[in-house]
Amino acid sequence: MSWQPALLSLGITGPASLLILGIGLALALLLARRRFPGKLLVDTLLTLPLVLPPSVVGYYLLRALGRGSPLFEWLGLRLLFTPAAAVVAATIVGLPLMVQSAQAAIAGVDPQLENAARTLGSGELAVFRRVTLPLARRGILAGWVLGTARALGEFGATFMVAGNIPGRTQTLPLAIYDAVQNRRYDAATQMVLLVTSVSFLALYLIRRLERPRRPGPLQDAGP
Amino acid sequence: MSRLRIDIARRLHALELQVHLEAGEEILVLFGPSGAGKTSTLNAVAGLLAPDSGEILLGEEVLFRRGLPGGAVHVPARRRGIGYVFQHYALFPHLTALDNVGYALRRRPRERAGELLRALGLAHLADRYPQELSGGQQQRIALARALAPEPRLLLLDEPFSALDTAVRESLQKELRRLQAERRLTVLYVTHRLEDAFAVGHRLAVMREGRVEQVGSIEEVARLPSNRHVARIMGLRNLFQARVLSASSEALSLDWNGLRLEAPPLPIPAGTIVTAYIRPEEVKVLYPDRPLSSAVRRNRVEGRVLERSPQAHLHRLLVSLPNANELEVSFSSRLYRSLPLEPGSLVQLAVRPEGVVVLRGGQRAERT
Repeated sequence: MSWQPALLSLGITGPASLLILGIGLALALLLARRRFPGKLLVDTLLTLPLVLPPSVVGYYLLRALGRGSPLFEWLGLRLLFTPAAAVVAATIVGLPLMVQSAQAAIAGVDPQLENAARTLGSGELAVFRRVTLPLARRGILAGWVLGTARALGEFGATFMVAGNIPGRTQTLPLAIYDAVQNRRYDAATQMVLLVTSVSFLALYLIRRLERPRRPGPLQDAGP
Repeated sequence: MSRLRIDIARRLHALELQVHLEAGEEILVLFGPSGAGKTSTLNAVAGLLAPDSGEILLGEEVLFRRGLPGGAVHVPARRRGIGYVFQHYALFPHLTALDNVGYALRRRPRERAGELLRALGLAHLADRYPQELSGGQQQRIALARALAPEPRLLLLDEPFSALDTAVRESLQKELRRLQAERRLTVLYVTHRLEDAFAVGHRLAVMREGRVEQVGSIEEVARLPSNRHVARIMGLRNLFQARVLSASSEALSLDWNGLRLEAPPLPIPAGTIVTAYIRPEEVKVLYPDRPLSSAVRRNRVEGRVLERSPQAHLHRLLVSLPNANELEVSFSSRLYRSLPLEPGSLVQLAVRPEGVVVLRGGQRAERT
């Protein structure tokens, strides 16, 4: 089999994974700890990519990145049919899983503990680093792994906004589709096995995370 | 003399908080029913709740000011240097007792937290996680954590309410010792009057967001400034008595010539104590029936002064031979055949359990 789609998947899922972590954490914190008008709306919008058909997400992304969009016209970004578009698509579909899991985990941390940390001299960043994060760690990690796995498996929206350009935007899921279309079943089987084992490992890791190593010290409200 | 001055207003969901309060080097008890604004007051002082207007001063330092000349000030909670023991302790579950206590310490946190734990006799708990500690131990660790950065002001929210009597008493003693040793100003929130008597130097009675009365505990108990305070204090039949003797069965009291037995307490003879009688623990006796063992003790004859029959509860005000008055209450189903009109003579028995001696309110008799 050709390793090119695998390396490309790695190159696209890697940045997407980092974006999912950063943006997801910020959104999860916002949704779990702040009250603002339209919060329910934001919450719902963030979950939408989970249930929408990939073609619908892809269509929105086409409009958001293509001709006539602010990114295209004002910032001069030409993202469509580049690896960057694949990164955006992977991030958008992976984000809801991260936000949901991290938000639940953060909301499960008793705010009184954060208040206690404040009276003990911690600023907001230190409160997050020393109290919220360690207590919500499992839910955040689980959401991150799940979101990354989803990003790795992204197919439909990527197909629409990044195309299926071998060596440029043809990630593993697209390469599998391509191989089947061209009756290269051996290559398809190999790639299918690769994607399956990586995904299996990721989910196995989450299950391990959710099981406490010993009763007692660690407890949080992960999913 | 006043180290902490609070003068704040804040509209909250269910009440209008308006607090004026001063505290010195003492334990000031904030006492009142739940929902009176006690915890909100602590949160405002700690910097976790911003008042709408007013001023909070700690020593010379302005912690908060808004809507007053001098410019707006809001020192964030982390810079106030105030120790806060939360109602359910709020110990960090992912840290050991040692790391909890060392949380606020910047230099050599483990070493210094260890020293503090040793000084408080808690060194054996250092490596345990909060879930592995009993309620009393958690409370001690929470107190140590709040004291570790050496605050001048300590806030305690219902600190001992979930603990059993023996543990509570030992912690109360510890708190009094620490307050004196470290010359702390302590705001102590409770809805239990027994706690107030046990630890407080002064009492501030709160109701519906306001401070109704501030004073020494006996003063507030004996001379409530208004009917609200009297009701909040919930005290009927408050009196002072001299301890005659203390045995393992009973504490004998002399209340202006009337001998009363209370449950046993180790208080030396001659001590003057403040006590009260629960009106519902006074039984009216039928003169023609044999006495049950429950009413053999603390018998006294009195004359009914007032009778206020209500749907379910009857109240009698009875004048006693020692020239004091006693309020008695009982279910309206009881004593129907007895003459209880004003002027009638009644035989009463006070159950010893109904005589509550307030600890901490005692002092040696003056000679």
